[in-house]
Amino acid sequence: MMFDTPNLTFVVGEEKRLAEIISPAEIEPLLRSLIKAGPVWAAVLDEDGLPICRHGDGHQSDTLQEIRQSLLVEGEPRGTLIVASNPSQFQAAEPLALLARDALQLTVNNNLKRMLTTEIHTSVVQESYEQLVGINRNLAESERRYRELALSLEQKVEERTNELQKAYGKILQQEKLAAVGGLAAGMAHEINNPNGFILSNLTTFKKYLGRMSEMLGLYRLLASKDISSEQLKLMTEARWRELKLDFVLEDAQDLLSQSQQGAERIGKIVADLKSFSHVDETSGVAADLNLELKRTLSVMNLNMAPGTVIVQDLQPLPLFACNPGLLSQAFLNIIQNALQSNDKGLEVRISSKCEDGEIIIAVADNGRGIPADNLTRVFEPFFTTRDVGSGTGMGLTVARDIVHGVGGNMEIDSSAGLGTTVTIRLPLKDGSV
Amino acid sequence: MIEFDEQQQRMVLKLVYYGPALSGKTTNLLSLHDQLSLDGRGELMLLDTTEDRTIYFDLLPFFYVAPSGMKIKIKVYTVPGQVRHDATRKAVLQRADGVVFVADSQLGRMSVNFESFDNLEKNLSMVGLSIERLPLVVQFNKRDVADVVPEEEILRAWEPTGLPVVMASALNGSGVLETFGKILEATFDSMNARYGLTARFGVERETFLSGIMKVSK
Repeated sequence: MMFDTPNLTFVVGEEKRLAEIISPAEIEPLLRSLIKAGPVWAAVLDEDGLPICRHGDGHQSDTLQEIRQSLLVEGEPRGTLIVASNPSQFQAAEPLALLARDALQLTVNNNLKRMLTTEIHTSVVQESYEQLVGINRNLAESERRYRELALSLEQKVEERTNELQKAYGKILQQEKLAAVGGLAAGMAHEINNPNGFILSNLTTFKKYLGRMSEMLGLYRLLASKDISSEQLKLMTEARWRELKLDFVLEDAQDLLSQSQQGAERIGKIVADLKSFSHVDETSGVAADLNLELKRTLSVMNLNMAPGTVIVQDLQPLPLFACNPGLLSQAFLNIIQNALQSNDKGLEVRISSKCEDGEIIIAVADNGRGIPADNLTRVFEPFFTTRDVGSGTGMGLTVARDIVHGVGGNMEIDSSAGLGTTVTIRLPLKDGSV
Repeated sequence: MIEFDEQQQRMVLKLVYYGPALSGKTTNLLSLHDQLSLDGRGELMLLDTTEDRTIYFDLLPFFYVAPSGMKIKIKVYTVPGQVRHDATRKAVLQRADGVVFVADSQLGRMSVNFESFDNLEKNLSMVGLSIERLPLVVQFNKRDVADVVPEEEILRAWEPTGLPVVMASALNGSGVLETFGKILEATFDSMNARYGLTARFGVERETFLSGIMKVSK
């Protein structure tokens, strides 16, 4: 049997007619041999009794004897083999008919088996083909998406980068505000203090000025009268003593120089803050990092707990090209952590040196240290162990990003109970010595 | 259903033995072939190859002729259980009228059974059949093997599905006829409800069942 019709769809198990299973070309040679052996004619009929193939002369005749045998399809009689012979030859014809039936049945069975196999094959192949078409369609679709994505990728990356930069700038600004807010509290106190005694001194001085004016007035009055110097001395000495002018003159001196010092102190605080914040600088300035460290420390001095010891071990450093404002921010964040690492007996050692083409700045404290579990997380944004509201969790993140920004790196080493050391390494670029 | 010709009074139904590889589907058919008389059935056709025991499928036809002349032919198929022959399984499942799920009772084969059952559910829906409505019988085969999951445990696990569960040992022939009888009953009921086999064609349930399930002497 041939299956050359395109787009065949089979249902496995569909019933077949005998004529679909066996063809006249397959039956004909058998019938021809049968006739040669004696019978007059032979035929194979289908389910409806219509001949599929017939061979031999003669026709239906009373004189001939017919032998009928069933042909089975899947065990069901679906066709008939008729062998007609002369009565004289009937004895020989019967075994011949059985032999022919067996041969035809074998062909039918084999063909049917092949057809069933083909049905399955066709179904499977067709389904696989449909699946492949489906897969191909999906692939084409995703390829199109990828191509689109590739085209717009650069633009998208740029957009995202800008967004990130904006967001980062915002975070940096917030972090700076938080630091400034913390500083402001200490600073208010530090400015208020000298301002307070300057005011008090001025009030006292105003009183002293009154006494001095009174004394001067007396001198002027007496000078306009014609009296002897003996009399003048007598008349003013008593008043001088009453007004305690010896003390007043001496104290006024002290008051003014004290006030002057106070005002200078306020001036220095403001100057420090101004240089720390680098309000009038941008980036790419060659900076002395020791100076930056000192400035940072001087702003922070105001906030330190009493009894805190700061040890500075600053070796001369080459100038380093950077945005000094940003680096000061990093220093501030790190030193602030160190200052908060213990309540009593805190010692913070700040060292700097230049070694093998890099600047190494270390801030070491003898505080409570960081537990190993947290050590891997300290650079994570918003990670904090402080109470809600008192720590932003951004301090070290921002510090590290700033250090990375100038091509350096930052390490943190800590053991619980013993203290923490933060080390910043900044490689010197060629020519920046 | 494969075919229904009212004028010719002929109906051809399809039953499918489904299940994981090596659970004993072909053994079930061989046992049916041995236990049932040639009177009600045709010959078993094994379409296997040397490379794989059931790369295609097996087919065992059954016949019943009602006194009214209505002829019902039932073609019983097995599918290859191997995962990679999913397309063949799907092709054989098309237009099935009932399914016997042959599961392997052996310890450690439970996940394979569930996988295969999932696959049956998925394939049924892909060929447009609903597992809710299709007659379905579950057989737990290989009860003769030593390390099998206890019957109570199996019944407890399958009870929520509401499906009939039969314990069997196809190798010794036990439970094979019971399984076949249950799927025949369920399939007859479903066909009767849809086509009025008894009312319109005079096909009685009991004579239909006994006509097909003639035990050979």
